[in-house]
Amino acid sequence: MFDDGAPIYRQIADQIKAEIMNGSLEPGGKVMSTNQYAAFYKINPATAQKAFRDLVEEGVLYKQRGVGMFVAEDAREKLAGDFRARFFDDVLQPLIREARQAGISLTDIIDYLKTQEGVLK
Amino acid sequence: MSATKTLQLPTRRYWLGPALTWEALKYYRYWFVAAIVLSALLPFLVSFSRDIDTSTWSYTANIGAIFTAIVAGGFLYSLAPSFIANSLTRRELVVSFGLFGLTWGLFCGALVFAGLVAEHAYYGAMGWTQSIEYSGELTVMASFGQAAEHGALYLLAYPLYFLGGAIIGAATYRWEGTGWLIAFPVAVVVIGLTDALSRTVPTGPDWLRFVTEYAQGWGRGAVLAAFAAALVIGAAIGYRLLIDIPVRAKKA
Amino acid sequence: MSFSVSLRDVTLKYRDSEALSNVNLELEAGKIHGLLGRNGAGKTTLLSLLAAFRKPTAGTVLVNGGPIWENAEIVSRVALIREGGDFDDSDTVKSSIETGEIRPSFDRDYALKLADKFELPLNKKVRSLSRGKRSVLAAICGLAARAELAMFDEVHLGMDAPTRDAFYKELLADYMDREHTIVLSTHLIDEVANYLEEVVILDRGSVLRHEPVEAFQRMGATLTGPADAVDAVAVGLEVLAEQRLGGTKSATVTVLDAPTRERAAASGIEIGPVGLQDLFIHLTSPERDGA
Repeated sequence: MFDDGAPIYRQIADQIKAEIMNGSLEPGGKVMSTNQYAAFYKINPATAQKAFRDLVEEGVLYKQRGVGMFVAEDAREKLAGDFRARFFDDVLQPLIREARQAGISLTDIIDYLKTQEGVLK
Repeated sequence: MSATKTLQLPTRRYWLGPALTWEALKYYRYWFVAAIVLSALLPFLVSFSRDIDTSTWSYTANIGAIFTAIVAGGFLYSLAPSFIANSLTRRELVVSFGLFGLTWGLFCGALVFAGLVAEHAYYGAMGWTQSIEYSGELTVMASFGQAAEHGALYLLAYPLYFLGGAIIGAATYRWEGTGWLIAFPVAVVVIGLTDALSRTVPTGPDWLRFVTEYAQGWGRGAVLAAFAAALVIGAAIGYRLLIDIPVRAKKA
Repeated sequence: MSFSVSLRDVTLKYRDSEALSNVNLELEAGKIHGLLGRNGAGKTTLLSLLAAFRKPTAGTVLVNGGPIWENAEIVSRVALIREGGDFDDSDTVKSSIETGEIRPSFDRDYALKLADKFELPLNKKVRSLSRGKRSVLAAICGLAARAELAMFDEVHLGMDAPTRDAFYKELLADYMDREHTIVLSTHLIDEVANYLEEVVILDRGSVLRHEPVEAFQRMGATLTGPADAVDAVAVGLEVLAEQRLGGTKSATVTVLDAPTRERAAASGIEIGPVGLQDLFIHLTSPERDGA
């Protein structure tokens, strides 16, 4: 499950973020405890804790003492914003570079994106 | 080892020894029953073919002495590593086996004492003579007092046999391959002193008399002093063997 | 409460060889530590000292700040479970479990519950158990000791994969339930890597590395690509291992900083992670001088 080279706590954080983005974790909703995460993924609880600490620092989760961890109300907007900020540099640029190497022209890509927009709507 | 239940840290060293005696008695209960029954039944059966003139219990007592040494050595050899692995300190181990030896030795010694006295009554009722045999020569236990005196020897001898066995067991565990050699000097001292002790009563000694020719002229006081010294020195040797005994490495 | 461990200048000599030489090591309380090392590296010896199975030839072994040797107060809350356990083979499974009650903290009900869960035959003699079942019995006794420092030395040997998995799950559940220190010594590194917080690598009687597990995860990378490009990037890096296949070369390096990572990516080199196990293999390979 954890094998793409990034530290496990980063992978867990990414997974929680993905769950928030795809709606399986609602804003204001309670997140499983670190111990539950640790037991589920069979990892050291300190590792799970590290993931949670990062997410609290980023403002994606917030902690209520004695109650647990919750998804921040604005978590989805925040994550979407982060994603937008990284989209062109992290996603599009490498894609275009690879397309160039394969001889796909920019206009081909734009045409394709236009047709997809129709489909996805 | 259910008798060890609810052990508390400061007192576990005192409970463990008597618990071992209890467990060992439970474990060997059929042997004990067989020894007691056979000691009474055998002379009865033999009496149909010939007159009974030797004490059966004196044989039982000597087998019991060797058995006591084997129990001590065997238990120590097999339990010391498991006890240490279960967090017993060496000092606690020494105290535990000391109390094990004392309770076991005294119990078995008392059993032999009772056996010899009861046998005196039994033989008397049957019209047989209770005597000790050594290479064809018979010494009669003329009274209850003499039977009791002979039985009392074992109350002293059993703890010494236990101590000897424990030393052999500890040395065998400690020095793999060579430690068992300590059995020779230990056996000479234990058997020799026991025989020397039995020389101080009219009915002794009953076997290996040649070992104690040297003790011919010793008074009872001197033998008892030597006996006590052997117990103290033996305990010191046992302590020394156990106090820093390592748990053996596992074979790869 | 959970116990810390501290070894100061510890040396242990067997009759003909030195198993540990001048080891200094601090293990923090309340964590799961992994103890790795090749056969004969000194893992079992080290653990034997921590449980007072042996006395060091020189140096000090402290557990929870106090000397462990002949210290009933501390040693009664330390458990070392060795491969195959330390049992009287002629005992039954049940009475072997009950021997654990020498420890005041021993949880008999928990032990019997686990015995049931792992399908241990209580009335069988220990000597008639299969290797796997014997290991299970040892593991159960270790868990039920409820120790403040629990050490498991190759206890998984003979257990099949589902049993090992169930054991680690149980260990983790107990760890989250009750703060205590755990040391796992094993050769199945990848199987336990995710459970660990700290890793100690022993090599030839000395501590080779002692780091949080993430440090090891950040530590290694494999660079795979055209041989010239890989060589160019690898200049000045600590290379643990190299392999060639035709014109393609793969190099395992210890540290890869961000600029180097970018440079490598730009020259078409593929960067892969190195598992703890592979890293361990490289770090302890006999061709390396114990670095």
